[in-house]
Amino acid sequence: MADLNAKQIQKSVKIAPGAVVCVESEIRGDVTIGPRTVVHPKARILAEAGPIVIGEGNLIEEQALLINCFPENIIPDKKDVEPKTMTIGINNVFEVGCISQAMKIGDNNVVESKAEVGRNVILTSGCIIGACCQVNTCEVIPENTVIYGSGCMRRVQTERPQVSRY
Amino acid sequence: MASLLQADRVLYLVSGEKKIRSPLSQLYYCRYCSELRSLECVSHEVDSHYCPSCLENMPSAEAKLKKNRCANCFDCPCCMHTLSTRATNIPSPLPDDPAKTTMKKAYYLACGFCRWTSRDVGMADKSVASGGWQEPENPHTQRINKLIEYYQQLAQREKVERDRKKLARRRTYMPLAYSEKYGLGTRLQRQRSGAPISGLAGLSLKEGEDQKEIKIEPVQALEEVEPLPEDYYTRPINLPEVTTLRQRLLQPDFQPIGASQLYPRHKHLLIKRSLRCRKCEHNLSKPEFNPTSIKFKIQLVALNYIPEVRIMSIPNLRYLKESQVLLTLTNPVENITHVTLRPCEEGDQDDLNSTATVAVSPKELLLAGKDAAAEYDELAEPQDFQDDPDVVAFRKSNKIGIFIKVTPQCEEGEVTLSFKMRHDFRNLAAPIRPIEEGEQGNEPIWLTHHVELSLGPLAP
Repeated sequence: MADLNAKQIQKSVKIAPGAVVCVESEIRGDVTIGPRTVVHPKARILAEAGPIVIGEGNLIEEQALLINCFPENIIPDKKDVEPKTMTIGINNVFEVGCISQAMKIGDNNVVESKAEVGRNVILTSGCIIGACCQVNTCEVIPENTVIYGSGCMRRVQTERPQVSRY
Repeated sequence: MASLLQADRVLYLVSGEKKIRSPLSQLYYCRYCSELRSLECVSHEVDSHYCPSCLENMPSAEAKLKKNRCANCFDCPCCMHTLSTRATNIPSPLPDDPAKTTMKKAYYLACGFCRWTSRDVGMADKSVASGGWQEPENPHTQRINKLIEYYQQLAQREKVERDRKKLARRRTYMPLAYSEKYGLGTRLQRQRSGAPISGLAGLSLKEGEDQKEIKIEPVQALEEVEPLPEDYYTRPINLPEVTTLRQRLLQPDFQPIGASQLYPRHKHLLIKRSLRCRKCEHNLSKPEFNPTSIKFKIQLVALNYIPEVRIMSIPNLRYLKESQVLLTLTNPVENITHVTLRPCEEGDQDDLNSTATVAVSPKELLLAGKDAAAEYDELAEPQDFQDDPDVVAFRKSNKIGIFIKVTPQCEEGEVTLSFKMRHDFRNLAAPIRPIEEGEQGNEPIWLTHHVELSLGPLAP
């Protein structure tokens, strides 16, 4: 069943059948949400500088912020800036209060509570960004990397935790 | 809450071997010596051992045997968090019918913080939830044990020699007294007991053990050392595989270089300690034996006996201009306390850090007793204290606000000042002698404390 939100249908928010999107969430801009994705109340998905495409089976918890924003020192000018699409793969988890600006996110990643992922980071698959870790480097995070601790230590995990869905 | 209260702005001076200045919340009060004590002038004693994660108590002898580690709990070798046991279902063939498979539970250890699992180092899943995990054996254990035994024996022999020398010298003077003290005074006594009694704790042989000679082989120095591999300097480092110094040094017997050799270790035990005043040997703090209880059997903290000074509001402080600072005094005991403040005299040795002079009123301040039921008692008559409005700003149950006048003397830096607080203290310990008629059981004693306040920088 598709729960469509009468309040939030902007010109281009496409919600696939099977997704659960709560009324209290804030979705702005050109957003595509895949099937079996759950968007909790008070989550915010803002497609300011371009469209956002979210895949299947993702979990976006309360107060998470997925934002496709302009790079900091470029003033948006209508002609020059080409809108870049932010793609999010399948089975990702965005826990409570996290902020994600990464342009490309693969599958099975977990961004834990209050973590911040910067704009120039690319998450591949199986990455876990630990709670309160801020990753604002300019790099591709290799597969199965765990970033944890106050010093953002890294290690490679050999197992992916089994994702349990409803 | 600690940062809200800013407890380290008001320091009390503890007179002892070292003059220590510390906030009242970290001090103890010895009721018998009538003095403040800090953590450095008390002796710390170990009360009991317990594991912080399973809260299991352990007697000291058992703790020593297990090298102060818990038997059930493990630490993650990667991030030192506590490991939790997780279960998975794996298909395994039935014992009677190898064709069919049934789901059996397999357990592995996993860390919730850094996602380390016991499968990372190759530890097989166990079929029992607890008790199946073994720590790796240290290859040098045997040699180390042998060395320890040899040195125990050596220490013992030396002690006996020393005792014998002392006795040999003094034998002509006081043979009887010394024979009791060491127990080996005369030759007869020594020949009777099988093993000598050593005073060295931890390095003593058990009584009655045979004194057999333990010989150890000295370590051989090798001429040839294994050469480094050729690509030692050119091989690119795989950073996630290299252990950090902290991870390495937490396992001093192995010190693994690679993360694939990091095995989990048993969790360290923590202790509950009791504090004892060094002068009068009374206990100042004695916790409960039960690890789950945070209460104390004896708790002589200074906050329960000494009035507490807190800074309430600070105006803009200017160089050489007198301003009024509002302090609060709180009475922790249940009877009325009389407090007098006076500034430090010239040339006071305790007055090292003040950068401002202070003028306080010499009048005696009355602090009402702490009444726990006062907030529920609506019909209570407000006690009538004649307060001088210049000195006392407000009064609220057992707390009063007082004004002091501060004149900063230094142009730059923090404004700190000090004063002496004198108050009376009634010792509520049960009197040893029975109270006769007409005699007051509790005589108040007057205590003086040196208090230092740090008021922050001058206004720009």
